[in-house]
Amino acid sequence: MARDLMNRRSDMTWQPSTELRRLQDEINSLFNFEGWDFAPGLFDRNMAPALDMVENADDFTVTVDLPGVNEKDVDLSVAENVLTIKGEKKGQTEDGDGNFFRKESWEGSFQRTVSLPQSVDADNVKAHMKDGVLTVTLPKREDAKPRKISVDVK
Amino acid sequence: MATATRNRGQNQEVQRTRPTVRPVSSIWQDDGTVKLMIELPGVSRDSVDVRVENDTLTIRGEREIPEDAQFVIRERRLAPYERTYTLDDSIDRENIEAHMEHGVLTLTLHLRDAVKPRKIQIQGG
Repeated sequence: MARDLMNRRSDMTWQPSTELRRLQDEINSLFNFEGWDFAPGLFDRNMAPALDMVENADDFTVTVDLPGVNEKDVDLSVAENVLTIKGEKKGQTEDGDGNFFRKESWEGSFQRTVSLPQSVDADNVKAHMKDGVLTVTLPKREDAKPRKISVDVK
Repeated sequence: MATATRNRGQNQEVQRTRPTVRPVSSIWQDDGTVKLMIELPGVSRDSVDVRVENDTLTIRGEREIPEDAQFVIRERRLAPYERTYTLDDSIDRENIEAHMEHGVLTLTLHLRDAVKPRKIQIQGG
């Protein structure tokens, strides 16, 4: 056994460090499971996709990962300062005959409501979808923007 | 989680484990092929990397990660995607088709001819 290990080491193809690294990667990947990103609450009927909101000087940008969702199937609405994103994620796997080896993705309707930190100009909200990511740009209202008032000191 | 393994003076690359996101996938059988659908939102067709090495199929995807942004809400985990699968002998490594649309990568894996069921004609009088 010992000699066997020695031989394996000597031909430089197997190394304990490689095995350790692989083990480390596998353990890391256990914590990387992303299956719950879209998980709904206990009594929610719809999936609630995870989103990011970034505040810029003139607007808010909301980004949602919606892989496999067609832009036509997304419905956006802004009321007061509440943004609602809803839609339908159609199953791409319907043509399969149900012979799944593994199924981690979800399909069906989704809805997400977020309140914005301040009121936005609802008429100028822009949205676009690219590579399965929805980006919504909500400009801040002029009257809600912090104004710089210059005071002349004499 | 960023650890670097020191090079031992051999022909081994220095590898780092870096945080990656494991994308969700679905695998199913469809008409004599195996389909693998993997969700990579934010990855364009040019920044996805599909590789077959011996028995492992590795899918990597780079996405844009905003830096210096002032997040009000931050729920998405933004990191490069990486996932590996082990292929068994029945998969034809030379014949893999890939298609990308709306951030979803679909691979069609064909089975080797040798493992397809063959109908044997029975001769006799």
